[in-house]
Amino acid sequence: MLVRPGEKVKVKVKVNGIWYEKEVEPRKLLVHFIREDIGLTGTKIGCDTSTCGACTIIMNGKSVKSCTLFAFQANGAEITTIEGIGDSKLHPIQEAFKDNFALQCGYCTPGMIMQTYFLLKTNPNPTEEEIKDGLHGNICRCTGYQNIIKAVKDAAGRMR
Amino acid sequence: MRCNMYPTIFGLYEPSSIYDTLDFLDNGNAKIIAGGQSLIPMLKLRVIQPKFLVDLNKLRGDLDYIEDRGKSIGLGSLATHAKISTDQIVKSKIPLLSVTASKVGDMQVRNLGTLGGSVSNADPSADYPAVLLAYDATLTLISSGGERKVKASEFFKGPFSTELKDNEILREVEFPVLEGYAYKYEKIVRRAGDFAMVGIAVLAKVSDKVEDLRIAYTGVGEKAYRPYELEKELVGKKVTRDDLEKFAEKVSATLTPPSDSRGSSSYRKKVAKIATIKTLSEVLGVVS
Repeated sequence: MLVRPGEKVKVKVKVNGIWYEKEVEPRKLLVHFIREDIGLTGTKIGCDTSTCGACTIIMNGKSVKSCTLFAFQANGAEITTIEGIGDSKLHPIQEAFKDNFALQCGYCTPGMIMQTYFLLKTNPNPTEEEIKDGLHGNICRCTGYQNIIKAVKDAAGRMR
Repeated sequence: MRCNMYPTIFGLYEPSSIYDTLDFLDNGNAKIIAGGQSLIPMLKLRVIQPKFLVDLNKLRGDLDYIEDRGKSIGLGSLATHAKISTDQIVKSKIPLLSVTASKVGDMQVRNLGTLGGSVSNADPSADYPAVLLAYDATLTLISSGGERKVKASEFFKGPFSTELKDNEILREVEFPVLEGYAYKYEKIVRRAGDFAMVGIAVLAKVSDKVEDLRIAYTGVGEKAYRPYELEKELVGKKVTRDDLEKFAEKVSATLTPPSDSRGSSSYRKKVAKIATIKTLSEVLGVVS
């Protein structure tokens, strides 16, 4: 398939259980596709350089940074964003973050929670070291991480 | 649409086979995208402005293999860091690669980024080049004109510069299985998730003396570096702490690291020296 410079490419993705099909520029980043084309603004853009993890989502079962991914790369994929994990009530990870005061301004929280979601799916009972390794691609400038680590441990307990 | 941090306009080609890809590359002015974890930041900074991207994602099934060939392990260039770091064959047969893959970037980056992407990008601070040098790995490059094999020592040319021509892609990296070798990848970073300020990959066969030693560095020059001649000074010896200090001093003197946000040149040389002593003490079992 060839898309000439300036032309648009058709992208079809399933986000939180719903299929969306849009024509976008090949250079459109997935995070902008999610926020602007689909209108789900829970996913944040922090650094825009693949460092801070605020834009973390789940694509085909794996956590990825949606600011460092083109929308076309997600064509055909199943995506879960922060809006898609809790149904009508809070997900246990969200409850654990709330109960452990694991946020202040909250900007990094959607990314932290999505990365925790992936971490606990691959490792339901992580050690503190494994939590730190799992979350080191997510930066929080308020909390100092102590309560985030506590929240992840708490969430692991609630989900077992 | 935001105007900051956006790539220039490009077209897109999605090949259905590797041969389509190679034909398309012959037209020029195209860049391959695999996981995009090195390429997209460069596109966003507009360091590169290709006319077309060629998306290899549909070929993933053919090119992300990890194949046990007895005396060697072949890895398809689209194998992700996450796959490499958790694969049992890699863990048991080429463990230095396994531990290094688990230290690339962060978990999200490892879920998308590929061996071939990182190696082709040849960032002078990337983790894999040192490991490829230590193993003396063989790279298979393919173009519409055919295939050729290149040793890691010839592949890396300089910062972001390799033996790959514009119409070639990296198809495979093959690692020899080295039985009974101790190993370590030491990565010193300024902050979690950063590229290495100094990275050291070591493979050593040790009995009552050192029988073979391979030590390779990243982050301390224009490309990954292996001090072949100096390595020999430790082989055949029962190495002491004093030997290690002398060795590390000599290696450090040959390094020409850049001064950048990760550290000054002279600081990196000091760090390289200390890290060499620490890493080799551990791998060679030298009591200080």
